[in-house]
Amino acid sequence: MSTPREGVGLSGRRGPVRAPQGIAGGILLIALAALALWLTRDLDQGTLNAMGPAMLPRWLAIGVGLSGLALIAFAFIRDGEPLERWSLRGPFFVIVAILAFAVTIRPFSFGALSLPGLGLVVAGPLAILIGGYATPEARFRELLILSLSLTPFCMVLFGDLLNLPIPVFPQELAGLFPAGWSQKAILRATAIVMAAAAIAVFFATRKARPTTIDVADHSGRI
Amino acid sequence: MGDLLSNLSLGFSVALSLQNIGLAFLGCLVGTLIGVLPGVGPIATIAMLLPITFGLDPTGALIMLAGIYYGAQYGGSTTAILVNIPGEATSVVTALDGHQMARQGRAGVALGIAAIGSFFAGTVATLVIASLGAPLTGLALIFGPTEYFSLMVMGLVFAVVLARGSILKAIAMILVGVLLSTVGLDLETGEERMTFGLPFLSDGIDFAVLAMGIFGIAEIMRNLDHTEHRDVVRQAIGRLLPNRQDFKQAYKPVLRGTFIGAMLGILPGNGAVLGPFASYTLEKKLAKDPRRFGRGAIEGVAGPESANNAGAQTSFIPLLTLGIPPNAVMALMVGAMTIHGIIPGPQVMTKNPTLFWGMIASMWIGNLMLLIINLPLVGMWVRLLKVPYRMLFPAILMFCCIGIYSINSLPTDVMFIALFGFVGYTLIKFGFEPAPMLLGFVLGKLMEENLRRALIISRGQLSTFIDRPVSASLLAVAAILLVIALLPSIRKGRDEVFTE
Amino acid sequence: MKNIVLALAAVAGLATTGAQAQNYPTRPITMIVPFAAGGPTDVVARIVTDHMSRTLGQQIVIENVAGAGGTTGITRGAQAQPDGYTIMMGHMGTHGAAPALYPNLKYDPAKDFAPIGLAAGTPIVIVAKKDFPANDLKGFLDYMKTNGEKVNMAHAGVGSVSHSTGIFFNSVIKAKPTMVAYRGTGPALNDLMANTVDFMTDQIVNVAPQIQGGNIKAFAIATPQRSPVLPNVPTTKEAGLEGYEVSAWNAAFAPKGTPPEIVKKLSDALSKSLDDETTKKRLLELGGVIPSATERTPEALQKLVESEVARWTPVLKAAGATAE
Repeated sequence: MSTPREGVGLSGRRGPVRAPQGIAGGILLIALAALALWLTRDLDQGTLNAMGPAMLPRWLAIGVGLSGLALIAFAFIRDGEPLERWSLRGPFFVIVAILAFAVTIRPFSFGALSLPGLGLVVAGPLAILIGGYATPEARFRELLILSLSLTPFCMVLFGDLLNLPIPVFPQELAGLFPAGWSQKAILRATAIVMAAAAIAVFFATRKARPTTIDVADHSGRI
Repeated sequence: MGDLLSNLSLGFSVALSLQNIGLAFLGCLVGTLIGVLPGVGPIATIAMLLPITFGLDPTGALIMLAGIYYGAQYGGSTTAILVNIPGEATSVVTALDGHQMARQGRAGVALGIAAIGSFFAGTVATLVIASLGAPLTGLALIFGPTEYFSLMVMGLVFAVVLARGSILKAIAMILVGVLLSTVGLDLETGEERMTFGLPFLSDGIDFAVLAMGIFGIAEIMRNLDHTEHRDVVRQAIGRLLPNRQDFKQAYKPVLRGTFIGAMLGILPGNGAVLGPFASYTLEKKLAKDPRRFGRGAIEGVAGPESANNAGAQTSFIPLLTLGIPPNAVMALMVGAMTIHGIIPGPQVMTKNPTLFWGMIASMWIGNLMLLIINLPLVGMWVRLLKVPYRMLFPAILMFCCIGIYSINSLPTDVMFIALFGFVGYTLIKFGFEPAPMLLGFVLGKLMEENLRRALIISRGQLSTFIDRPVSASLLAVAAILLVIALLPSIRKGRDEVFTE
Repeated sequence: MKNIVLALAAVAGLATTGAQAQNYPTRPITMIVPFAAGGPTDVVARIVTDHMSRTLGQQIVIENVAGAGGTTGITRGAQAQPDGYTIMMGHMGTHGAAPALYPNLKYDPAKDFAPIGLAAGTPIVIVAKKDFPANDLKGFLDYMKTNGEKVNMAHAGVGSVSHSTGIFFNSVIKAKPTMVAYRGTGPALNDLMANTVDFMTDQIVNVAPQIQGGNIKAFAIATPQRSPVLPNVPTTKEAGLEGYEVSAWNAAFAPKGTPPEIVKKLSDALSKSLDDETTKKRLLELGGVIPSATERTPEALQKLVESEVARWTPVLKAAGATAE
């Protein structure tokens, strides 16, 4: 769907192109239009009396393509924006974090790969810890505390108070607790353990702060 | 008139019982608190909170549900303003200027004017429902497929006006949005369109998924690009509440927004969705300096928010008097009512007057509660922005994942917010705006379905759109608007048109 | 922390598959409703499970997994652990019409489930716009013979109950009205009330308020007996139409392989719930039909599914209806 590569390649030009962003945008639109036309190639267009499923998408795709061509044409005639720099770190970690959440929240299988459903107790911290590294200022300690405190909050809020059918922990976890414990009790106990761990981490690592973390602090702030 | 007063006093006698006031308050409070979580829109909020009303008597349950609905709606606007994640179609517009205001340290003013505008709109809309509810249902029946198609065309023209930068790019984005809306099973024939054979695409792309991706996730990715500017949002918090100058700027948009929203909300085909867009367009056209819009204009928050709330309320009219839910949220309300043994329909008003008027009275009380709950909360929400972004965004990310998962319990929905997030990021990088695309998406589906329906019923006669007076006038308005939108920019000089 | 959990999870995984049927249920049960919250099937599921939860001593949590005419949710349910902690609410579409509508269906309604029991059915009513030039079913059928081409029939989208039952109706009366699709029942009814379309078939819970309010007219109800909600509407047989008795039934299923003792417990709880006065009252208010004791058994449900698949497949295939 996206064509970041062309974009990056065009950024260092000097020539007839006066609005590189327009060129890249135009190419993107034309690619999109081509994709839509290809996807609807087997569908019936129908008549006005009984419009087929392909009629509107096809005309829209043509419209999108024409807009793309117009953008490219104007890019040679008028001055426009240069291409912005792409930083791939942000999108990369954000996407990986979301995917990690998606594949761990409930049992997942894709081809040969299959994962057991680990529930919010794993998916939540994963999303925060991985996602947190999207910025170069990420600090492991902060993210750890954040994930250990937000996750139990969400577990109690969604799983306990609101009773949502969102998987909270793997069934196997129940085996760790005495047989008589109900699901809710296990949920609460797990949440308390996590919250306690968050507090423990907070206090245990506080002393180390002046020596190690402060350095990161300076580079992170200004 | 006498009828209206006696009906309203009956309603208030029901709604003002201690228990019902408590329920309205509780509903608004939980609705706001859950609805404010990024990624949890009104539909998800109501579905989540539906079970807590089960133990109540029907009237109490409905009052609480209405409270939850308003709370969720307002909570959604709060998220749109603070972190630029609209939870539903109608708060897309709020995000445009509201979030810009937040970036300038005016989040409190934006939230405050939204709350006050909403309260005013809610009050007017309650009166409209109480006095005109029954006669207005006639309007719902004038609008057939032909009229809806023309209405949606007009809405798409709004989208052109809405755009901030290049008109060409805006048109391209609208087309892309409409194109995206055609993904999924074709409604008439049941054939798959552009689904890549993936079963989870067969019902099309979910609005919440698309909006969260191209607004919320893309916004995070973009913020991460500019680490040096990341503190803009929390820079200075500024005043918490709007001052006199703000009110002076905002009161007219609130009045106009209320009127537009209330009118469009009555239409059963989800006309309410157009309210905020129409209001924004109008304010932008009326403004002395339209360039302020999209850069934190208070009118761009006050008008659409009032329209949003007025529409949210008057969209109860088709539900209460016809039994027809105009949109997904209302469909959920129907389900909630049926679970409580009340089947919405034309008889509710006569068969169950205490419930009907009690609910209308509690609408107003719900709006009052919202104001009472939210003005003090504004300070708290704004303070949230003080959290360093490097810690705020992972939390938003997790809430988005949970929120999207909770709607359909589908991990694929979660994956799609990542995909759309990247698409949105790419679009921003290439200078496209996501808002017109989202509007195209919302209106596109309604537009295609109604176009095809109208043509089937007219047996392929295109003239049906001009023969029917309502449809013809809507199309005429659309044409005029389009000309007005294009003319000045064409005259002004070329560079203005296609760059900014 | 995470390592410990994972390690222990692996060990504990071995022990959980033991025979737990006696103590069942020891934790909340998830019921997948394959439609959005608020629809007729969701409402029936919520009403029925409310009482079942009390009988079983554990809450039944409704999980709405909507998509593809309900087949997304049922597919997931069919693939769930057969331990009794994931069950689902299927209906006429997912366990009757789906094999014809979805050629790539990933489950077999008759083979991949352990039926629990029939919950409640909502009968189909044949309704027309207020201004329709006929006042009873006979007049309607006569009109269709001469003006069939001009008539517009509304339905709530391919794969919906009103679509399948509508196609069936057309095949029974041998008519070919122009089909107009809507997204859901609400908009379709709206246009019916506005006289924009001519007639449709849909579940009683959706149309009853409009019939009572005089906004649309009902020709017949497709059940053997009249409904207490619409006592003046004749049955199709009374109105002179043979061979059109349809109801959008809802029934609970467990995945194939669920221990029979657990299925029995669930089936008993469901049956008890249907005998409960409050549950009954709420279902009847919806126009629902409560199955008799013999219709509620897992065996009866199995038979129903087989006969429904056999009934819908030829009808829908002949009409060329597909949702893929």
